[in-house]
Amino acid sequence: MTKMNIFLSALALTIASPMAVAQSETGETAAAEATMVTVSVKGMVCDFCARAVTKVFGQNEAVDGVHVDLDNGEIHVGLKPGMSLSDDEIETLVRKSGYALVSVEREAI
Amino acid sequence: MKTTYAALVAAPAFALAAGHADARPVSYPGGWTWMQMNNGDFSAIHAHYSPTFRDSIGLYSERNWGEDWHFTGLQYNRLVKRWNETGSQANVYLKGGVGQADPFGDAGAELAGFIGVSADWETRRWFTSYEARAYDLGFNQSARQSARIGVAPYIGDYGDLHTWIMLQVDNQPESETPTTFTPLVRFFYDVQLLEFGYTPETERFTANWIVRF
Repeated sequence: MTKMNIFLSALALTIASPMAVAQSETGETAAAEATMVTVSVKGMVCDFCARAVTKVFGQNEAVDGVHVDLDNGEIHVGLKPGMSLSDDEIETLVRKSGYALVSVEREAI
Repeated sequence: MKTTYAALVAAPAFALAAGHADARPVSYPGGWTWMQMNNGDFSAIHAHYSPTFRDSIGLYSERNWGEDWHFTGLQYNRLVKRWNETGSQANVYLKGGVGQADPFGDAGAELAGFIGVSADWETRRWFTSYEARAYDLGFNQSARQSARIGVAPYIGDYGDLHTWIMLQVDNQPESETPTTFTPLVRFFYDVQLLEFGYTPETERFTANWIVRF
């Protein structure tokens, strides 16, 4: 009887463990917030400029979407949940696009 | 501030000091550009690829009706300097091409090349540019320069249809009409740029098309 209890307990643990991990991973994923980054740049004055920025940022795997505001010289970058872009990485992308970085602001969404 | 002042002074000076002032000859990294220029004196195609935002390389082919020759070759463009400022951008480019040219008729093709320099300064309201280019085609040496000034009657945001009113001044010393003035209208939407103009001195139309992808 004791052996049967140990077997059933072990079986229950074996079945329950992956579920527990899955719940944990799901919980972590749900907890990870998407981030919106507002990047202010200099020199972005036309649609070709905006397209360059959209293409270069869009190729980064952390980027979910890019919106360009020519009026204010801003790039709004949506990051995928759980992903991040450091300020250095953002500056590299801005330079690669051909423009000059002014500032970076982050906001959880 | 000093850099801004230099850029603001340099670009209009280039424009006043003054072909064809085509749009920026370098795209974003990995970008392709197709340019087609026609102004009655010549028709040209320039298709290029930009590995970086500073360089582009591609094919250039020009059929010059004014001087009776045809050139086909490789062209390299280099962004030498860019001034990024709040609300404006200025650029200086060097261009070079090598290939073969042949005069209309029975004569054979010869090794040929050209070099050029161009500069532009642009805000969302104003545009100025200048380009000078010198050709050595073996059987013919020539030079031409061109300058533009333009204004946008309204300011559109990214993705809108943008319209520019421009005036282009061309100077080609060997031409029957060395200096011409061409009013143009530019439409710019998505990846397409179209220009239409008319030159009263030569009674010829200009039609340019640029697409980037």
